[in-house]
Amino acid sequence: MDGIVEFFRTAPIPPDVFAPSLGLIILLPLLGAFVCGVFGKWLGRANVHLVACSAIAGAFVLSVLAFWATSDAAGGRVVSMANPFGLERDVIRYAIAHDYGTWFAAGDFRVNFGLLVDHLSGILLLIITGVGFLIHLYSTSYMEHDDGYWRFFAYLNLFVAAMLTLVMADNLVLLFVGWEGVGMASYLLIGFWYTDSAKAWAGRKAFVTNRIGDFAFLIATFLLILTVGAFNRQADARDFNAASSSRARYAQGIEQKGPVTFKGLEKMALALPEGTGGAVSLATPIEAGPLSGYTFGGVMTAIMLLFLLGAAGKSAQLPLYVWLPDAMAGPTPVSALIHAATMVTAGVYLFCRMSSLLVLSPTAMATIAIVGALTSLLAALIAFAQDDIKKVLAYSTVSQLGIMFMGVGMGVFWAAEMHLMTHAFFKACLFLGAGSVMHGNADETDIKKLGGLWKEMPWTHGTFLVATLAITGIFPIMSGFFSKDAIFHGVHHNHLHGLEWVSTFVYVMGLLITASTAFYMSRVYLLTFTGPRSKEAKVPHAHESAWHMTLPLVVLAFLSFVTFAYALPLMPRTGGGMQPVFENFLSPVLRPAEAVARAAETVKLDTSTPAITDYLFAWLVALSGGAAAAFAYLKYFPSRAGQPVPAFARAVRRTAQNKFYVDELYEFILIRPVKFVAFILFRVVDALVIDTVLVRGTAYVTEKVGLGLRRLQTGDAQAYAAIMALAILGGAVYALLQVLS
Amino acid sequence: MVPITYYLLLAAALFCMGMFGVLVRTNALVVFMCVELMLNAVNLTFLAFARMHGDGMGHVSAFFVIAVAAAEAAIGLAIVIAVFRSRGSVNVDDIRTMKH
Repeated sequence: MDGIVEFFRTAPIPPDVFAPSLGLIILLPLLGAFVCGVFGKWLGRANVHLVACSAIAGAFVLSVLAFWATSDAAGGRVVSMANPFGLERDVIRYAIAHDYGTWFAAGDFRVNFGLLVDHLSGILLLIITGVGFLIHLYSTSYMEHDDGYWRFFAYLNLFVAAMLTLVMADNLVLLFVGWEGVGMASYLLIGFWYTDSAKAWAGRKAFVTNRIGDFAFLIATFLLILTVGAFNRQADARDFNAASSSRARYAQGIEQKGPVTFKGLEKMALALPEGTGGAVSLATPIEAGPLSGYTFGGVMTAIMLLFLLGAAGKSAQLPLYVWLPDAMAGPTPVSALIHAATMVTAGVYLFCRMSSLLVLSPTAMATIAIVGALTSLLAALIAFAQDDIKKVLAYSTVSQLGIMFMGVGMGVFWAAEMHLMTHAFFKACLFLGAGSVMHGNADETDIKKLGGLWKEMPWTHGTFLVATLAITGIFPIMSGFFSKDAIFHGVHHNHLHGLEWVSTFVYVMGLLITASTAFYMSRVYLLTFTGPRSKEAKVPHAHESAWHMTLPLVVLAFLSFVTFAYALPLMPRTGGGMQPVFENFLSPVLRPAEAVARAAETVKLDTSTPAITDYLFAWLVALSGGAAAAFAYLKYFPSRAGQPVPAFARAVRRTAQNKFYVDELYEFILIRPVKFVAFILFRVVDALVIDTVLVRGTAYVTEKVGLGLRRLQTGDAQAYAAIMALAILGGAVYALLQVLS
Repeated sequence: MVPITYYLLLAAALFCMGMFGVLVRTNALVVFMCVELMLNAVNLTFLAFARMHGDGMGHVSAFFVIAVAAAEAAIGLAIVIAVFRSRGSVNVDDIRTMKH
């Protein structure tokens, strides 16, 4: 046993040796994208598959090494490095980083190309490259008959490279590069079948919706840069005492690494709370600069709310969630990779990364939690009535992301991150399972026209069942149950200072969501796999997919089963008692946030371990949802087949099926007025002023003047000479008059 | 000693005759002769002023004008002959190709 522990504690490549190679993790998929995109047409299918898959496999191996290096504890000393923003003794543990030097600098603003891998980004690295590899493998079979396979793999690799940039960035600007990169890659992938205009439109919708969020993200970044500058000028040495740092070192760190580095922001968050006796606290007004007059706390709240809007765009939260269900127009592996496992969780990752700043603002936290809860419930209710298997899963993803936002908003960062991980496994498994179902049934996506697949597609059925049980929590020894329950437990016990009611509200919503999830996921499973085969099915018998497709399913199902172990309270807590493995695992990253929350007294973080009764209650709620679905779809509806449906039920169903008319509402409130203004601008400004008056008017005047002047050109040399002579005469007369007067 | 006014009046009269000739005559050869007349009127003023000031610059200018006039006459005659060969006429009213 000690030997095994020793093995896992010693990285095969020492951290300081490995750190300069971190860039390779991004470069490999980027290179793969380049090769596939530029030479893919000439390489042929097998070579493109080989290049794309091996690029991701290489990145996965490097990620494993990087992750291993962050946990290196050779000789009992864990890997640690100097914090450029703190004292020498103030080191960062369980993290490796490498700074590739200045990326750009303007005045005293500076951004470095720095990469950082700690336990938070390490987990995401493994998910992105690991799940990414499985999905690449799956795609080799799924996209077998597509002519654009090389383009598809180039985009997939590009996406992975951008996502890796996002999670490995050690500053906000570099993170934004990845943030935009995944947005672009997802646009390309959603609109992959661009000859179908509906699918191209879906890509455009995703892109435009994301732009709104990205704009908010940028403004937040600018505000943050201004705040850091103001803080650096205004704070005195006593402020920094609380952050176990010195003012000079902080200024030096900003000079070296720029103001948007996460470690620097963490130091600022540690120094900002009230009551430390320094010149600056949350209630202090900013003295100079564009933000003068506003308090630090107020600006921080504004920044966090803007980041929320940015994250809402990427992570499909209210009010910007509408793009995600439409994005199902893309190929199924894309839905699994982007819209379940990686990109859409970027918002959750961002808030975990900025957790120490987030806990400074209870208002922003409450908003995040409420937005998450409302999104989650709304999406779950819409999912009740959707018949397209991928649409149900898409709304389920929106709903699960809402749960993660609830966790982030209530300060249970570790549980949100854990749900992100387990969700990546079981939702990728569900999406790939849905793809496999479509593959075996001539692209049929309507669950009402499927049924009875459990005999014909045993592997797909088995893995889908495992993933369904994991997401619903009907069968408790599954990862999804524990990670979701960890969030709800934390939500229930954490309290936002001044906004205590949010906790109760969000918790009640959470219970509703749990039951709803169990219901609609059971419905999908029951309608697709059990019962007799539908008479409207396109093919009489489904066929099981190739091993390229079933192997990833099995691996993902296995992962979505075993990761529950992370939620078990097996690790000793420093204050006595036990804590969940994952909480312990992320504590090096989240410790500053806890310290800030304690000092600022904005959030009361409860770290109690859930009791068995908590689990039992959550289980009963989930079970009730599942049981309701089972009763409805196995017993009630089959017995009522052929009988008319009551009118009110039809109305409710139609409303839910039409997504509560949110898209239509947007159409009415935003799109129509904007289109109208655009129409007016087009007619008046463009067509009338620019086209008619300016462009054609200029041509008209020139032509008429030319026509008039043409008469002067006779070609008669004597006429020209006469004009010349007259002009000379005129000049002479003028000169004479001047001389005489 | 004749006052310079007479020279200048004579030159002006010659210049005006030449100019009217250029403007109204239709025969290209006559037009050329009128141009020569104008040039010589100018030469006359140059020489008159040179004589008045006792300065050699006027003589130099006059020689320069004569040289240029000779060159111009040679080229001009060549053009006139070429035009006559191609069109059978030296009437300047008929030559309006500058319009195009």
